[in-house]
Amino acid sequence: MVNFLIRRLFYMLVTLFFVSIIGFALIELPPGSYLDSELQRLRQLGGNLSQSQIRSLEIRYGVNDPTYLKYWKWVSGAVRGDFGESFEYKKPVGELIWGRLLFSVTLAFSSLIFAWLVSIPLGVYAATHRYTIPDYLITAMQFIGVAVPQFLLALVLMVFATTVLKQEVGGLVSQRFVNAPMSWEKFWDFVSHLWIPIIVISAGSTAWLTRVMRANLLDVLNMQYIQTARAKGLKEGVVIWKHAVRNAIHPLVMAIGGVLPALISGEVIASIVLNLPTTGPLLVQALIKQDMYLAITMVMFLSIMLIVGNLIADLLLAWVDPRVRLE
Amino acid sequence: MSVAQQPSSSAIPTSAPESAAPEEDIVLEVQDLHVYFYTQIGVVRALNGVSFKIPRGKVLGIVGESGCGKSQTSLATMQLIPRPGKVESGKILFREFNNQEPIDLLTLERNSDEMRNIRGDNISMIFQEPMTSLNPCYTVGDQIKEAIILHQGVDKEEAHTRAVDILRKVGMPNPERIAISYPHQLSGGMRQRAMIAMALSCTPTLLIADEPTTALDVTTEAQILELMRDLQREIGMSIMFITHNLGVVAQMCDEVAVMYLGRIVEWASVDDIFYNPKHPYTILLLRSIPRLGSEEHIRLESIKGSVPDPYTRVPGCPFHPRCPSFMPGLCDVEEPPETTVDGNARHTVRCHLYT
Repeated sequence: MVNFLIRRLFYMLVTLFFVSIIGFALIELPPGSYLDSELQRLRQLGGNLSQSQIRSLEIRYGVNDPTYLKYWKWVSGAVRGDFGESFEYKKPVGELIWGRLLFSVTLAFSSLIFAWLVSIPLGVYAATHRYTIPDYLITAMQFIGVAVPQFLLALVLMVFATTVLKQEVGGLVSQRFVNAPMSWEKFWDFVSHLWIPIIVISAGSTAWLTRVMRANLLDVLNMQYIQTARAKGLKEGVVIWKHAVRNAIHPLVMAIGGVLPALISGEVIASIVLNLPTTGPLLVQALIKQDMYLAITMVMFLSIMLIVGNLIADLLLAWVDPRVRLE
Repeated sequence: MSVAQQPSSSAIPTSAPESAAPEEDIVLEVQDLHVYFYTQIGVVRALNGVSFKIPRGKVLGIVGESGCGKSQTSLATMQLIPRPGKVESGKILFREFNNQEPIDLLTLERNSDEMRNIRGDNISMIFQEPMTSLNPCYTVGDQIKEAIILHQGVDKEEAHTRAVDILRKVGMPNPERIAISYPHQLSGGMRQRAMIAMALSCTPTLLIADEPTTALDVTTEAQILELMRDLQREIGMSIMFITHNLGVVAQMCDEVAVMYLGRIVEWASVDDIFYNPKHPYTILLLRSIPRLGSEEHIRLESIKGSVPDPYTRVPGCPFHPRCPSFMPGLCDVEEPPETTVDGNARHTVRCHLYT
């Protein structure tokens, strides 16, 4: 097991190395640079800029350096924890993204756990009550969950929260807590703001996972060992939850690997609509403005999360199913 | 008036054994069991009035082609008939001890505590596919312990000791190691031994073995059969042994019931089945076994035709479309009653040739 982990960590480093090169090349690919939009802004402000001024700015931003040099500048800093400076925000990249990254991860994991908590019982119920009215209702809800666009769901929930629940929506916390120190009250306010994004982000994956759970459990319930478990005299609940669900849950565990990045990219729209300080909108902005050090750093962190998510999924799967364990 | 109502034929099987052996100790008695499956394209009559008895400490073989209702008989006894199947009528009387008032298992609720206490404790079951009949997610020991803890109310450590003991008893080399192994680490024969260990862990009164050796190779099959025979003698349990292999029947069983299309067409001691078969179906089944020492290049006999599709109902004797002794006007009209053969109350047949 230790060997397996060491090998996996090594592969992860190799993968990240290639991701950084390809990511950097892709970000460099479009013509122009951040300086073009910056120059345009300066021209609008104060008329003409002389060639020498432009030249000095080019040198300052280093935009005309060859790509490998820029890459070296970034990567040599990154391994020491210095990810360079954002052109647009004039702040160190690290400072800009830590908070957002943390919030994004919190949101992604809460959404995944929410998706599990809803989809596992619903899927089990649908499978054990196949072709009954509740099963049809669950199926109908799944289709709605997959089909409704996130921004629409976000808007509907915001309207619902403000008109019916009389709740303040949007942002992380209510206005009155924005500059207040951390307290239980503020934390509770934060939690009560979190439910809308969690539902919006996880609606699609919940619906999909319910479907998967139902289909898999139906397969497993036909297996001989389920008959064996019943023949032992076990209660039906034990047969289902101990013997059947554990064999049907593989795709839901593997979902951590796949759902995590999907949740993170999926939250862009929800975050824009709900005005949430997550990584999604920041990454989109950075790519549009060609704020390259910010962009590549975020791409790297998303890749790390994808890889770590997959590692967690593999470890969990080995825990659930002994056949996956390496001898 | 149907033939089954005739006083002579219906009286014989019930009255004769009583006078012959008044204190016969019957563990399981199935009476007129009907199991139907209500599918979307029609009703499948899986069992049409199956009746048989299993005496204490004896092995009853149930033989027949695929789809004749062997497995459904065993599942009905366990009350594990899958949906959309349903027990229409009949009785399944079970006596755990001699002289005990029998319990009709069919009157118990399928998932009631009483039924679950009988399942796995008094009646246990071994299935056909050892490769898939153990849960891949739990160790062999854990799966055996589960039954022991459930039915014998002992703590985990005691259950573990007992599980290792029973694994040793079924001839597992290194039982401590096997107990912490997962099913995928064992071979087919080992898994079937583990299944037997699980089934015997609570020393059942009746063991139902549904084609336990079909998926195994012949040498493993011989070992498993010998093991089952030894353990049966040691524990003194009865076995309902379901198979399509007549060679296995000869080796294992005391009595044999031959099934065709959800009915028992002949019931006799194992010697009578092999040396004095009466029903044309039994005779044809025996002729279709390949034999060592028979002349070379002789074609093996097979039974003409195949089992009719399950949605249709065959009028009269279910075997008449394939029967070489078919008597038009009788066999395709009237269902033959159960008749004793040569006055031997332990040999009955359902065929118009003997009425």
